Amino acid sequence: MNALLTSAVAGLTAGGTYALLGVCAVFTYRLVAVVNFTGAAIGTAGTFVLIALYEAGFPIWPSVVAGIAAGTMVGVAIGTIMTRWFGEASASTKAAVTVALLVGIIAIGLRLTGGQHPHNMPELFPGSAFRMAGVEVTIASVLTIGLAALFTVLADLFLNTTKVGLNLRALADRPMAAELLGIRVQLLSLLVWGMTGAFTTFALMIIAPQRSPNFMTLSLLVVPALAAALVGLFRSFWRTLAGGIVLGLVEGMASSVDSISQYRSAIPFLVVLAVLLWSQREARWDEAR
Amino acid sequence: MSKLVVSNLSINRAELPVVSSLDISVESGAISVVLGANGAGKTTLLEGLSGIIPVAGGSIAIDGRDIHKARPGVRSREGLAHVEQGRTVFRQLTTEENLKVSLHSGADLAEAYALFPELVQRRTVRASLLSGGEQQMLVIARALLTRPKVLLIDEMSAGLAPVIVTRLMSAVRKLADNGLAVLLVEQFAALALSIGNRAYVMRRGRVVHDGDCMKLLKSPDELHRLYLGG
Repeated sequence: MNALLTSAVAGLTAGGTYALLGVCAVFTYRLVAVVNFTGAAIGTAGTFVLIALYEAGFPIWPSVVAGIAAGTMVGVAIGTIMTRWFGEASASTKAAVTVALLVGIIAIGLRLTGGQHPHNMPELFPGSAFRMAGVEVTIASVLTIGLAALFTVLADLFLNTTKVGLNLRALADRPMAAELLGIRVQLLSLLVWGMTGAFTTFALMIIAPQRSPNFMTLSLLVVPALAAALVGLFRSFWRTLAGGIVLGLVEGMASSVDSISQYRSAIPFLVVLAVLLWSQREARWDEAR
Repeated sequence: MSKLVVSNLSINRAELPVVSSLDISVESGAISVVLGANGAGKTTLLEGLSGIIPVAGGSIAIDGRDIHKARPGVRSREGLAHVEQGRTVFRQLTTEENLKVSLHSGADLAEAYALFPELVQRRTVRASLLSGGEQQMLVIARALLTRPKVLLIDEMSAGLAPVIVTRLMSAVRKLADNGLAVLLVEQFAALALSIGNRAYVMRRGRVVHDGDCMKLLKSPDELHRLYLGG
């Protein structure tokens, strides 16, 4: 039992990261109508800038800032492609374009970072925050969950209490009507891409030491992130936050059960399947009748 | 002097010409009415003017400044407002939030409520839950708050009860009387001509008639002939 609890708590860091990446995915979808498969890859690019600078001997915190800046810029670059050439495309076309971009970013990233070559990723927040039921809860776990919750609260406040947030909600509803009213649609879209790029980069910097710091592995964290976003049906920030954390906990617990531990990476797919079946049940039932 | 001057304008859709060599103008304080049968190119004309679709050639000038290559947002900031067909409210926002989105410096929400007092009681209601007439009032009021010099209105009567259409027409006349230049595309020809100053009739992407609204209103046979050709 204690082993299961220890594994579950160990999954909290991953859960916080899934939650934050998921909330960023919901933010991007709600405001610029893109199911963004490049979310984690954007953060990975920024994280590898940190790794490269750290390995070259630069001090850690300036390297973190440079990494976040790089992640923001990659986010803005992807956003520029999406708003400039695919702004009026359908949601499925936009999603397909981000899948193509993900493949491209992974290919470039693996080439530049030496593929499976091991890297020295500094642990930004080492150590334990507190003990819970006899299990150490790491600072990284607390921080990723806190960051995800903070982003959720800030996103809600930003969208509901500021003029820019109001303009973004209008933009998400009817982009052309918003542009016809003089709203700077491209600038606001790039703001969304830049903000999510910065947050995902920081989240991945925290989780990277616990994963194999490989460009592809980190980029594919988009799968559990989108599973979490699907729990929130790409609308609710809070359900996405909860979905991400629960996903991390379940993955953690699964790792302590020998018979299923090797299949734990399939858990996000099972969640996606379960949510799709649940959310579509009424439509399918109506069809069957 | 005309606020909006459109010269030799051509607009294509899927590389086929829909509007060709078109010249129109709209003066401050006046309503220019554009009439024509379905497929004449009226909506395409307005979409080309506001930048929703690119123009193939010609010029569009507001106060003498050519804007035909500018993006829709830039044209809006130059003083062009477009009330699109289909009552394009922001569905998830309330009435008041819809108005606040377009609130430019110097404008006041009170102006919108003064034009359509019906919206005051509905200020906290989500726009998707408003009636068709209220939604149309909201998009016109929203456009007004961008402080436009020229207002383009496309088929505002579509799907609305005659009493609501009459109410909307009188509000548009009031806006023109306050100095706005209005270009009104409308299917309800008689009602539009009754509030308009200058009438254009389009057929197959070209202006086939340019004259006084009252004269055309008094000649229904002429209007019928212009619509159908011959």
